[in-house]
Amino acid sequence: MSSPVTVWRHHKNIRNYLNKRGKILVWTKVFTAPAGFEHEAPYFVAMVEFEDGYKMPLQLVEVEEKDLKPNKKIITVVRKRGKVGIDEVIEYGIKAKPL
Amino acid sequence: MKIQVKGVGLTKFGELWDKSLLDLSLEASVEAIKDALIDEKNIDAVFVGNMLIGKIAGQDHLGPVVASALGLNCAAFKVEGACASGGLAVHLAIQGLLAGTYKNVLVVGAEKMSDAPTSQITWALMGASSSLERKAGLTFPALYAMLSQAHMQKYGTTRQQLAYVSVKNHFHAALNPKAQYPFEITLEQVLNSSRIASPISLLDCSPITDGAAAVVLAADTNSKGVYITASAVASDTIDLAQRESLTELKATQAAGKLALKQAGVEITDIKLAEVHDCFTIAEVLAMEDLGFCPKGGGGKFISSKATKLGGKCPVNTSGGLKACGHPVGATGVKQIIEVTQQLRNSAGKRQVKEANIGLTQNVGGTGATVVVHVLQN
Repeated sequence: MSSPVTVWRHHKNIRNYLNKRGKILVWTKVFTAPAGFEHEAPYFVAMVEFEDGYKMPLQLVEVEEKDLKPNKKIITVVRKRGKVGIDEVIEYGIKAKPL
Repeated sequence: MKIQVKGVGLTKFGELWDKSLLDLSLEASVEAIKDALIDEKNIDAVFVGNMLIGKIAGQDHLGPVVASALGLNCAAFKVEGACASGGLAVHLAIQGLLAGTYKNVLVVGAEKMSDAPTSQITWALMGASSSLERKAGLTFPALYAMLSQAHMQKYGTTRQQLAYVSVKNHFHAALNPKAQYPFEITLEQVLNSSRIASPISLLDCSPITDGAAAVVLAADTNSKGVYITASAVASDTIDLAQRESLTELKATQAAGKLALKQAGVEITDIKLAEVHDCFTIAEVLAMEDLGFCPKGGGGKFISSKATKLGGKCPVNTSGGLKACGHPVGATGVKQIIEVTQQLRNSAGKRQVKEANIGLTQNVGGTGATVVVHVLQN
């Protein structure tokens, strides 16, 4: 888990990536997850290119595997990230959903 | 550049439950020093390549840990460059020899991975990635899966061509008694193995491995033997998303080009190579980016059996990372040992005929660090 101060710092940047539109370049379905993500597996992660040309890797939500294809349009959304304990700070992050 | 490989030492690779990182490091080091026919007191410096032990076991300051266990009080360093830690340690040791600071150096690459659960190892390895990649829940198999998909989209590389990399490297490993998996596998076994990160399956992936490799290097001795004639390093962005292309590793291209220039040879002169097949797509990219075949033709080139023992240029005769094993910090040093044994004509059943020039390529992360060496006899 991340410390409360790093979560606070990270949350201040979320607005910079919100509601951005772009397209999927490539994607993968992760079956073997790293620590903190095991409960979400399997999940999709894509390399996304925004309309301004900036690229970043984003977890995909609200997506069906059969609908995934190159150049699929997406929009960024805020979602809970990773797993937290009962007395830990919930961390939110940017993910992408298909349009 | 002429740096002699005076001695080599290599442990068995695998899940070595009864041995610690230090046990493995000492076993390989003592063997290398003995093979070099020198007194250990003549070692001027020790370079230790390692990535993970600080994270998974809390042991840092590894240079003096290994040196003092050998009874040495010389200069000692730990070198970290993700999966290229071993190759980087060799490179830095060579710089010390070329500068005249040292005459004989010991380079040890070592990793002890089986003590930690898979999820912890996966997390620890992701230290070599970007924070954005970690926050997205990516793993190295997942990052290489996206490189695989990009190559398949652009060049039509097939799932079968990728799987053949594993089949070939297991064929080689079956001839290597030090390999973690010294047995052959079939194309169907690779294709039907459990999925890790689509399109990558379990048998596309290098394993979690314990092991150590050590070499004694010396400044030009003018004696007969195997010499490192080129040592080049290049880097690229840590974050895959910031690369111009997902179908090439520019650091491999740059380091490869520089190494060939240093050695004064052409890629067509290379008789064998050990390249970084952490995942099957990585060997395809290495073949293309080093210039063994045209861009986009790597899958077809490997499937043609040109890189299988008996082919035009055998690649990963040790079994590669896939089948010999991938104790992260040891891999770059093990590659040097495999090529040295080939050039000494002492590789046994996996001996490449008339081997006189070999190349190694060691990759950190998804290509943020690449080390290329050329060896000649």
